[in-house]
Amino acid sequence: MANLTTVLSIAGASFAASFVEAVEALTIVLAVGVARGWRPALTGAAAAFAALALIVALLGPLIGAVPIRALQFAVGVLLLLFGLRWLRKAILRAIGVVALHDEDAAFQRQTRELTGAERGKERGLDFIAAATAFKAVLLEGTEVVFIVIAVGAARGLLGLASAGALAACIVVAAIGAAVHRPLARVPENALKFAVGVLLSAFGLFWTGESLGVEWPGGDAAILAFAALFLGVAAALVALLKPRLAKLA
Amino acid sequence: MIGAMTTRLIGLFVDDGFLAAAILAVVAVAALLASAAAAPWLAGLILALALPAALAASVALGARRARRET
Repeated sequence: MANLTTVLSIAGASFAASFVEAVEALTIVLAVGVARGWRPALTGAAAAFAALALIVALLGPLIGAVPIRALQFAVGVLLLLFGLRWLRKAILRAIGVVALHDEDAAFQRQTRELTGAERGKERGLDFIAAATAFKAVLLEGTEVVFIVIAVGAARGLLGLASAGALAACIVVAAIGAAVHRPLARVPENALKFAVGVLLSAFGLFWTGESLGVEWPGGDAAILAFAALFLGVAAALVALLKPRLAKLA
Repeated sequence: MIGAMTTRLIGLFVDDGFLAAAILAVVAVAALLASAAAAPWLAGLILALALPAALAASVALGARRARRET
């Protein structure tokens, strides 16, 4: 039986990571809708959801067949690669080395490109526009599927992780439908920072557990690892930001 | 589109080659310690110390690269 720490950390990590991906997909779908019409935007997005459902239906039964130790090891290492990459990028953004992600700018750029692009209308559907929405939702959705599997599978809590991701997608879609604008006010880098910390902590925990490490405190060690990564990341920002600011 | 998806999928895990290589090296050393030396606690210690260190080194290298370019 999973304890509250595990449940909250899995649901929270899945929700926050999926929220960021959903915001990025929404920006492209909105740009397609505004520049080329809502029919290709929604058709492309719906087709991508169908493709994602197919991927999940094919992968789901395979996960159950993998021995738990092997699954924890594979998922742990992939989470370390994925989480630490996110955290590294979030730190570099925080210290000003990498530009902050700007949803408004991404929306304007995509709208401009789609307005200028040739219309590929055949049989009434704008295929270029639909393909743009399809690709965006499929790519961001693939990341969501990976995150759900990665945070949920090793503890047999895929349903909980899926619920967190689904809730994030519904919240983003509802806000997007209401405001018809990209969600530029979402503190994306802060969210990515938090997600990077959490995913790295899960990765460290599960990699160790798959190697036979008995972490002190059991699942509560995940929170200790999150605090460790957060502390290192905060120290790096505090140390490097003033140095880079002096050079600017 | 398949090419773009493949590139994107690889990019999910590998952005900075140094960081990816360091993570895999740390995990390999930990796995070796856990199986050959039968010391899982030591593997855990290596993971908990070396992974944050790898992150710090990768960020420092990234910042240094940026400083050189400015």
